Amino acid sequence: MASDTVTDVPARTSRLRSMPRGTVTMLVVPPVIVASVFLVYVVWRQTATLDSIEESQLAWPTVWKLLGEHVRLTVVSALAVVAIAVPAGVLLTRGRARIAAPLVVAVANTGQAAPSIGLIALLAMWRGYGFWTGVIALTLYGLLPVLRNTITGLQGVDPTLKEAGRGLGMSATGVLLRVELPLAGPVIMAGVRTSLVLVVGTAALATFIDAGGLGAIITTGISLLKVSLMVWGAVLIALLALLVEWLGRLLELFTRPKGV
Amino acid sequence: MWQFVDDRSDQIVYNTLQHANLVVQAVLFAALVGVALAVVVVWVPRLETLANAVSAIGLTIPAFALVGLLLPLLGIGAFTAFWAVAFYAVFPVLRNAVVGLRGVDPTLLESARGMGMGPVAVLLRVRLPLAWPVIHAGLRVSMQMSMGVAAIAAYVNGPGLGGYIFTGITQIGGANAVNYAVVGTVGVVVVALLADLLLLLLGRLTVSKGIRA
Repeated sequence: MASDTVTDVPARTSRLRSMPRGTVTMLVVPPVIVASVFLVYVVWRQTATLDSIEESQLAWPTVWKLLGEHVRLTVVSALAVVAIAVPAGVLLTRGRARIAAPLVVAVANTGQAAPSIGLIALLAMWRGYGFWTGVIALTLYGLLPVLRNTITGLQGVDPTLKEAGRGLGMSATGVLLRVELPLAGPVIMAGVRTSLVLVVGTAALATFIDAGGLGAIITTGISLLKVSLMVWGAVLIALLALLVEWLGRLLELFTRPKGV
Repeated sequence: MWQFVDDRSDQIVYNTLQHANLVVQAVLFAALVGVALAVVVVWVPRLETLANAVSAIGLTIPAFALVGLLLPLLGIGAFTAFWAVAFYAVFPVLRNAVVGLRGVDPTLLESARGMGMGPVAVLLRVRLPLAWPVIHAGLRVSMQMSMGVAAIAAYVNGPGLGGYIFTGITQIGGANAVNYAVVGTVGVVVVALLADLLLLLLGRLTVSKGIRA
């Protein structure tokens, strides 16, 4: 190819090729880190001599069970976040409700100043221990990024494009679904990724209210002063969080409409 | 509730100040590190991708996991809490400082050099003041995030208000459990909002007159 390909954007370029270098790095590096560190864990797990506490806490069935709980907490909460925050964001950009948008975002911002562990503790006192209390706490905690980005994304859509949609004979709903939401999609998905990272990290605290998750390995390690449990519990959670962040990036990439 | 607060007001005030103290020290330290790193990144543009990747990965690591990792190295208490808070606080400042320093109009740098300024003077008297509003925004994000990290670090006996929340959790069902959790949570919110207000004020006073909106 000629040297002028930088300015030349071919129609059939792959999604990867058309991205800036930083984006490519963030799609390639995290999975490599996750895979190699996990490999180190597996080798350590199979070769180290473990005492009975370590043996029971890091037994594969136990780790899979905690991992499953952690993933379930994350996925259910993230779905709830999207189901609540996106419609709320849409409503706050329609008609009269528009005036309330800055106020709602300000209130949500203030709420975000509450420490996650405090929110979890108070909800547990009100609703009791367990999985669903965890989901409620994580959902509340994850709402703001998606709400804020939905509002910002929809407000950023060029009014002439909405006008053009109406001119083509689309109804207000049609314009919303086929013009506004697809165009705001990348911004909304960036919010979803931020939320996912918040939720998967905060889910590590769910163990304090018996809602499950990998945090249990760390708390056991701390209360029994087992360094191996603290470290590997922390590493497994960090790996899961990196993996979730990476999946968020993939989701962002593949939901981007072709024209944007 | 009021009775509870009244009985312990000295202790609550003490822990509130400890919380603010821990966060402010850690964020201040992190801000210096973040700006210094950003200056290096702007000087060596090839590092930018690396810096962004490190920021994104660093911010992804859950706070409770970091506490678990630091504990064996630094032991129980304030040391672990300080480093955990400082770790996260670096990234928003770093990211914003890179954007801010990079965003300075090259013609301004050119004229500063034309006026006879050396590279250090250009950095200190032109670049940093012009980038300061963006760095300041990053500082606010760091400060808010750090309030919650400090609360989590209380699990390993870090100083501050988080201890009340964990006391509330361990005493759940007991008479004062809710009081403890409310005092801890609301206390952190109040400290966070006050800190943000002070930062806003600081921003008003320190943003260079020429670029004030």
